[in-house]
Amino acid sequence: MSPLALYQMVGLFMAAVGLGGLVWRRTLVGMIISLELMLNGAGLSIVAAAQLTPADPILGQLGTLFVMGLAAAEAALILAIVLIVVKRFHTADAGDVSQLRG
Amino acid sequence: MELMAKTAFGLYAVMIVGGSIMAVAASSLVRALVGLVAAMFGVAGMYLLLAAPFLAFMQILIYVGGVTVLIFFAIMFTRPGPAGTAPRPHPFRRGLQAVLAMLAPGLILLTVILKHPPLSFPIPKNVGPALLGKGMLYHYLLPFELISVALFIGMAGAVLLAWHKWGQK
Repeated sequence: MSPLALYQMVGLFMAAVGLGGLVWRRTLVGMIISLELMLNGAGLSIVAAAQLTPADPILGQLGTLFVMGLAAAEAALILAIVLIVVKRFHTADAGDVSQLRG
Repeated sequence: MELMAKTAFGLYAVMIVGGSIMAVAASSLVRALVGLVAAMFGVAGMYLLLAAPFLAFMQILIYVGGVTVLIFFAIMFTRPGPAGTAPRPHPFRRGLQAVLAMLAPGLILLTVILKHPPLSFPIPKNVGPALLGKGMLYHYLLPFELISVALFIGMAGAVLLAWHKWGQK
């Protein structure tokens, strides 16, 4: 088995487990944790594909770096949203937050 | 040297697999976060194996150092008080949906990887941080600027969201 296939399988495992966790978790914070897991798997897959094939390695590494930056921005935004949800609904349970009115 | 690389890969893979399962299955959110940190360290090790040390350091700095602390804040802020709700058991249907969500893309992509194994170099290419910096300032200048704009908007939006007095007109 080629090295790239091994790395891709590890990345695929992280993404699949993260997707399952996104469905399984009930609280918003548990869902963020699963989301970060999926993003990490995607980053690993991108870097492995860029480093082990004739593709441009700089493009792959910079792409993963940008994914990391977006993940940081997204985590900060989600923290703010979770704070507001907890203030309003007194729970972080995704199933209980079903009211959309302003 | 070959054996050492394989051993390191196995160690990091075990860290990633164990950490991922812990991050998803642990009932306590703090334990799930610890599992996530273990998986992130495993990914950083794999970046080192892929000859991308700069990315490994960024992974530890941004993910393990930054995002984890943010998630920890979120856990602490949302912790239910003494009168909080007790954890309810998961219904069977939700477990079935989670397993389906895990297996459907996983099995399809795994079949693709196994049926058409990607050709690859045995040894990763070596690109230093100097070349990465040049790439940021020459070829990929627009994405570099755009990510700074996205980060700024994200931070400003987070502050504004938390600042606004919601529900008080």
